[in-house]
Amino acid sequence: MNNDKNFGRSQARKLLLLAILAGRIMLKNGAETYRVEDTIERIIKSRKNIRFADAFVTPTGIFASLEYEDEVFTYLIRIKSIRIDLNKINLVNEFSREFVSTNMSIEEGFNKLKDIDKEKTYPLILNSIFGGLSCGFLSFMFGGNAFDFISSLIIGFIVVFSINKIAKYKLSFFINNFIGAAIATLLSIIAFAIGLADNMNVVIISSIMPLVPGVAITNAMRDTISGDFVSGLSRGMEAIFSALSIAFGVGLILNIYLWRIR
Amino acid sequence: MFDIIKQFIFSFISTLGFSVIFNIPKGLLVKSSLVGAIGWLVFYISSLFLNNSIISTFFASITVGILGELSARFYKKPATVFIIPGIIPLVPGAGMYYTMLALLEEDFYAAATKGTETIFIAAAISAGLIISTTLSKSIRRVNTK
Repeated sequence: MNNDKNFGRSQARKLLLLAILAGRIMLKNGAETYRVEDTIERIIKSRKNIRFADAFVTPTGIFASLEYEDEVFTYLIRIKSIRIDLNKINLVNEFSREFVSTNMSIEEGFNKLKDIDKEKTYPLILNSIFGGLSCGFLSFMFGGNAFDFISSLIIGFIVVFSINKIAKYKLSFFINNFIGAAIATLLSIIAFAIGLADNMNVVIISSIMPLVPGVAITNAMRDTISGDFVSGLSRGMEAIFSALSIAFGVGLILNIYLWRIR
Repeated sequence: MFDIIKQFIFSFISTLGFSVIFNIPKGLLVKSSLVGAIGWLVFYISSLFLNNSIISTFFASITVGILGELSARFYKKPATVFIIPGIIPLVPGAGMYYTMLALLEEDFYAAATKGTETIFIAAAISAGLIISTTLSKSIRRVNTK
């Protein structure tokens, strides 16, 4: 593997930093915690002279330590915001495979990881168009007709566009979902009132679908099965509260609407 | 039969939309959408026969989980890339909405019925994912021994 002469104390420290950076990118973009732990340990253990390495990851922070020649290094970092970018998880996964199996230097690894972190997402407009398309076709799946399709398409576009814009202000996920659901409901009621939509319920349901906590449910389950009960619980809590915030957003607007027509 | 083809196309496009929202790399977009579309087809067909959305969701989520794990193994990618977009159409957004609507109309009986159904659908998704992931892990363990 690595040539041992160059691998000194500072290199061991840098290796730990590299592993943590890789873990941070994965966790920030919505990976399961067991995958992050696995990646960190694999990266550290791939180099010689490391006697012991372990990582403990929760959805909000990473702890990792390694032992090098009677010395223990430990780092702890805090993860604040989680957004979903499965491309980056995939890229870091590939990177860790490459790093473990080849003789890549640590500096080169840092550069590669920094490039991955800067990797661009799909442009906002494309994102919103596809969000609108998926809402539109979901309305067909939930039994809507062509009018419902058109209004869900437009409302889905606006909802995805605006939650992406709101996410830039780094409010909590609760507020984001709440505002998204409120916008979706309000626009659906307007579309129904001006006669664009036939079936208001179908349009509301399909336009709140981009907000539902599918990732949190999936990750909560996958974490729990692999024995990370702390992460599973906290992700499950995230799922429950996302669902609640969507329900509150819908409920607020609907309540006003029902009160108006009563 | 025509209905089934229509449902397949609709679910394919909507899963494709979610795949773009979650930034799935270009080469995998079609594959992950296919997983989601097959999952929805299982849901649609089994709810035609069983007329029970909880059991149908369970079968669909097992399908998505197993297909996701298989494609993860085959293409050497993280399994979540395939599972997450496929799960989204199954999430009980409708149940959540109708529960809220019933609560606002002060129809608490309907709210309890719908709310329980929603929770059970969420549980069915989780159970399906648990079973498929555990299956794939145990297969991997047997293979490496």
